[in-house]
Amino acid sequence: MDEKIISRDDLLKICQDVIEKGNTLLTPGAADYSVVKDVSKIDLDASALPSKISYKSYVFPRTEPVLYYKRSKNDVQLIDVNIDSKKIVILGAKPCDANSLNIMKHLFNWDYSDDFFNMRAKNFIVIGLMCSQFDEYCFCTSVGSSPVSEKGSDIFLIPLDANTYALKIITDKGKEFISPYNGHLKSGDENRSKRITENVKLPETAFDSSEVYEWLGENFESPKWEGVGNLCLSCAQCAFVCPVCHCFDIMDEDYSYTEGRRMKNWDGCQFGNFTLHASGHNPRDIQSKRYRQRVNHKFRYYVNKFGEILCTGCGRCSRGCPVSIDIKEIVSNCKNDQKELK
Amino acid sequence: MNELIKHARELLESGEVAAVIGYRQVSAKRTKPVIITDPEETSALVFNEYCLNNLAVYLTKARIKLLCKKNDKVLKLAITAKPCDVHSIVALIQENQIDRDTIHIISFNCHGVAKDFGFDFNGDNLASKCITCETHKPLYYDKLFGEVMETPQASDTAIARIKEIESMPHNERFEFFKGEFDKCIKCYACRAVCPLCYCQRCITDKTIPCWIETSSHQRGNFAWNVIRAFHLSGRCTGCGECDRACPADIPLSLINRKMSMEAKNLFSFVSGRSLETPTLVGSYNEKDNDELFM
Repeated sequence: MDEKIISRDDLLKICQDVIEKGNTLLTPGAADYSVVKDVSKIDLDASALPSKISYKSYVFPRTEPVLYYKRSKNDVQLIDVNIDSKKIVILGAKPCDANSLNIMKHLFNWDYSDDFFNMRAKNFIVIGLMCSQFDEYCFCTSVGSSPVSEKGSDIFLIPLDANTYALKIITDKGKEFISPYNGHLKSGDENRSKRITENVKLPETAFDSSEVYEWLGENFESPKWEGVGNLCLSCAQCAFVCPVCHCFDIMDEDYSYTEGRRMKNWDGCQFGNFTLHASGHNPRDIQSKRYRQRVNHKFRYYVNKFGEILCTGCGRCSRGCPVSIDIKEIVSNCKNDQKELK
Repeated sequence: MNELIKHARELLESGEVAAVIGYRQVSAKRTKPVIITDPEETSALVFNEYCLNNLAVYLTKARIKLLCKKNDKVLKLAITAKPCDVHSIVALIQENQIDRDTIHIISFNCHGVAKDFGFDFNGDNLASKCITCETHKPLYYDKLFGEVMETPQASDTAIARIKEIESMPHNERFEFFKGEFDKCIKCYACRAVCPLCYCQRCITDKTIPCWIETSSHQRGNFAWNVIRAFHLSGRCTGCGECDRACPADIPLSLINRKMSMEAKNLFSFVSGRSLETPTLVGSYNEKDNDELFM
């Protein structure tokens, strides 16, 4: 592991250069990760909670055309889309966000290689920042991550004091990104950053994900799903703020009788329409089945298929749920016969 | 609180109601909805300044109606409702979605709620709707609890914002809404929490033909937010749940409040205030203001 030290001023100089070269720089705020125009306004706060919305839309936009079409009397002409693949640098990614693309990439490269996702992911530089804050909804430690996890980051920052960061180069991509700026880096001392990361307060482990996996396998028809099914109002807030939920819908938009485009739009498994068949049959016709799907997909199906939990423990879905359904509570209580899921 | 629990318990034990929809505390400054059918569980019920949810949204859900069917009999449903939530219940009764006789309303003398979970309850953090609230005692109820207490004082910043937006030139106003709607991610949380958004099939779910583009781009977002504002005009009771639920912080209640102001100015109608007055869109009077006709 290559560890360096960088001052806040030098870090901002790098940011300035990133912007001047025409790349996009994102930093987290309370609401969203947003594009930085003025580096002096960057506030890298390790003690901030995750923003309301994750940064997945920058690699998997909430809506995008996948092709354009032109119809004539006997023919349809398909026109490819040029994928916008500007370099995007995320400065200060929460450790619970940093690993999101690594988790999602399995799906986007499963039976089909999704150029839209892959091209953008390739041009992503994730500069993670250690996290020193958690609230009642955080549970990264229950899904194999932690506030000091470097997983998914290309470069990882640990605040040493108000103006200095330990900078760890994690991946080759990170190394390549930082090499033009080596002049800004001083050699670091691993023990100093270690003392800080070792003393970070961790959210208590709420559940054992392998036990949850087992329970889900045996309790597909459990009456316990009914409680949460009665409560959930079927919006997609949870799925859309989630850093790893990746379902999408394909819709054609006609501009006219002869021209249009095919769109790829975010979709959510809690919507009743999500599994509605053309025949009118809906295999997930009631909310309890839809909520069961959400938990199973995250903690069982994705594990079966790709060996990873489809959850980073950021707690966004629970923090923002209009009816305060807490996924950590649901998952923790599922194997406890005394407790209902609601 | 004990009175509330005792009452709910009696209702369930006597078999008068099939379920009680109420609030339970999850942390110091947060509650969540709870649907209780077992009298033993009534001990979880609370009512305080953090009971933000408008539980009337559950009244039209098929699965909740199903809970009330017991051996050919249809039992009542009890709901704990703030006075402002009672407005929603009244609107639902007026729109023939629920029957007054099947609902047992447990309400409270209310002195306001916090603007969101986690905030201290005081004038600075008072929910916007509470600042101008005139109904601290519910207009309709079957059981009333709670002491009469003073609502914290706060200035009505929302009306100032509405006036500011009204005074903008058209293009500036358009830019303002463009900026706000651009944040919409189409999660439809606004629709989900709205008691008056009870359509079994929302117009945005009708895709053949597609009236409202499902894409979350500028045109699609405008189409959705404008159609929702229209569909709630003269119907919205101002509970502010859409505002609270929106993960993108779009000030939806400004739009709905403005539309309610129009309904009041043009037709002297305020939704959800009377069981005797017919709904605005469901009634016609020759003396109706016709300025809106082109």
